[in-house]
Amino acid sequence: MENRKGVILNIGPVHPATHGVLRLIADLEGDTIENIKVDIGFLHRGKEKLAEMRYFSNYYPIVDKLDYVSALQMEILFGSVVEKAAGITLPPRAVYIRMIMAEIQRIMSHLVFIGSFGMDVGNYTGFIWAFREREELMTIVESVSGGRLAPMYICNGGTFYDLPENFNQALTPVLDDIEKKINKDYRALFNDNNIFVMRTKGVGVINKSTVIENGITGPNMRAAGIKRDLRRDEPYLAYESMDFEIPTEESGDSYSRFIIRIKEIIESIKIIRQALKNIPTGPYKTSVPWLLKIPEKQTFVRQEVSKGEMAMYMVTNGGLTPYRLKIRSPTFFSLKMLEKILKGSKIADIVAVVASLDPVMGEVDR
Amino acid sequence: MFSYVYGVLSRFFSAPADLIVTLIVMLLVPLTLVAIIPVIIGWVDRKYGARIQSRWGPTYVGPFGILQNVADVIKLIGKRVITTNVDRLSYSFVPIALTAASFLIVVLIPWGAPGLYILDIPYNLLFIYVLMAVSPLLILLAGWSENNKYSIIGGFRGATQIATYELTLIITILSVAMLSGSYNISDIVASQKHLWYVVYLPITFLMFVVAGYAVIERDPFDIPEATQELLAGWKIEYSGLRYGMFLLSDYIKMFALSMLTVYLFFGGWNGPLLPAFAWFWIKTIIAMMILLTPRWVYPRLRIDQLVKFGWNWMLPLSILNLLVVGAVLLV
Repeated sequence: MENRKGVILNIGPVHPATHGVLRLIADLEGDTIENIKVDIGFLHRGKEKLAEMRYFSNYYPIVDKLDYVSALQMEILFGSVVEKAAGITLPPRAVYIRMIMAEIQRIMSHLVFIGSFGMDVGNYTGFIWAFREREELMTIVESVSGGRLAPMYICNGGTFYDLPENFNQALTPVLDDIEKKINKDYRALFNDNNIFVMRTKGVGVINKSTVIENGITGPNMRAAGIKRDLRRDEPYLAYESMDFEIPTEESGDSYSRFIIRIKEIIESIKIIRQALKNIPTGPYKTSVPWLLKIPEKQTFVRQEVSKGEMAMYMVTNGGLTPYRLKIRSPTFFSLKMLEKILKGSKIADIVAVVASLDPVMGEVDR
Repeated sequence: MFSYVYGVLSRFFSAPADLIVTLIVMLLVPLTLVAIIPVIIGWVDRKYGARIQSRWGPTYVGPFGILQNVADVIKLIGKRVITTNVDRLSYSFVPIALTAASFLIVVLIPWGAPGLYILDIPYNLLFIYVLMAVSPLLILLAGWSENNKYSIIGGFRGATQIATYELTLIITILSVAMLSGSYNISDIVASQKHLWYVVYLPITFLMFVVAGYAVIERDPFDIPEATQELLAGWKIEYSGLRYGMFLLSDYIKMFALSMLTVYLFFGGWNGPLLPAFAWFWIKTIIAMMILLTPRWVYPRLRIDQLVKFGWNWMLPLSILNLLVVGAVLLV
């Protein structure tokens, strides 16, 4: 170590505010960060390699734990890859069920973001509130799939079960409740809270050009003013026939990343309402053999998950398992930015900025 | 109060013994108060916070979980303290000093009725202020003694924060003292017989609350112990009874702040119809509930924002305020 005056502070991998096992090595001068290094890989479980040893139907429980905050979207993504490769077409009801579940999962994931962001800037109430709302949706997901965090709901060719009978009656009041609380309670606790705005505005700015250079996607990108959403630009499932807006903000700081997610929750609620109205009847899955054989092929599918653009690139060689599966995780690219945007800020900002990028280490380390 | 207790006890004991018994009783009273107040306020705080967050808070120990904090203290006492490389002397000294300070606050503060003191001294407001703001050096000492990077950062933050805000606090107290012409809480209360000082000095009142908050390190000004980034700041290596002492002194200070708010700005025990004691406690409980709220509503400020706010706004405003009060008094 060269001669230096400051302190090296090691934050993580076991630290309450690092969203799992992120490790940051901060080079401090007083309370100011001179340099920061991001160290990832503490949750590496070899997911891509594991895919090569599983049948196409048996990889779902593992894909659940990629981004464990939005597990259903991971399942849907993997399902889409397999179905595209094997040339399976979904029945229309399955498409709608998948879309509803994906949007429910997006709301849940954004609620986790709101809660943990609130907690990381020091507001414990926001955390409990967000998890209270998430719990209602969790109950819905549980009633649909039987699982809560890792639902195991999607299978090749559709979903494992149909929606329960009174799904509509159960979901509608929950959505109304969440919309009301977002517009009233959360506005009071976050948007109109001076200290919250002071802590987050102008902190951790990622501007437009940096976003494009570094491949940051999802809400973090839209917060910098780029209007791009795969649900709109490359519609998959039934997003084409849905009417929703893509919220954007201009400044690209932590506050706008927060606002984007709040707005996206509202948009997701809109989508679910429309989907519930238009959901067709019919079979919820096509029969697909458990042991699929996919011919030699290269398949690439990308979808807009709650963290950004998630993609899977699958190479098959005619066997029962993928030859290679590459996963592109969105927050991996945002985390890389920490080294740039945290330079010169205070220790307290580390936590706020990390939370504002909404990383889930399960997906970053894979 | 001493003479009253002495008068009662001297009926039962003969000449040298009665003085000793009185002294023991007078020591036991503040000790009991120091032990009981944090338990009760801690319960109120937890229950209140839990309701804001739509939880239930403690429910199991005692009716409505009121004995939860007693159970927690017993757990803390039973805890084995594991430390590595701490500076033993200063590490043990800080919690004791902070507890002694909160004990002295309890001894010096009047308890809600004229003459209801454990110890009456003419400058008690000044003394209580000193005891509440005694900690910058102690916090720095604690942070240093623990030999941990998080704790030393917390210690420096604490010292900076309190050094910034205790100046504002004493100047706001000074303007109240100038208006009433005394540093004695009884006299200050007596001079508010007709009109509360909050009517004369609304800005002083707000500044007093904010500065008081910063000095006692209550959320949202708990920057030195910032749970998220510094884990527990300067308290990080403390556990067991020593940590319990910190909690205790925190709650005593919180309580003292709400009592002082009532004494200095809301007329203390003055009020129509009801007896003085009742008035005081009604006001204190309302003040305390309001003062407990920000913790559950506001996020934490950043240290540079807090210090900037302190030097740029609070201090000049408080000095200006003092000058205005002085000018009004001269005219």
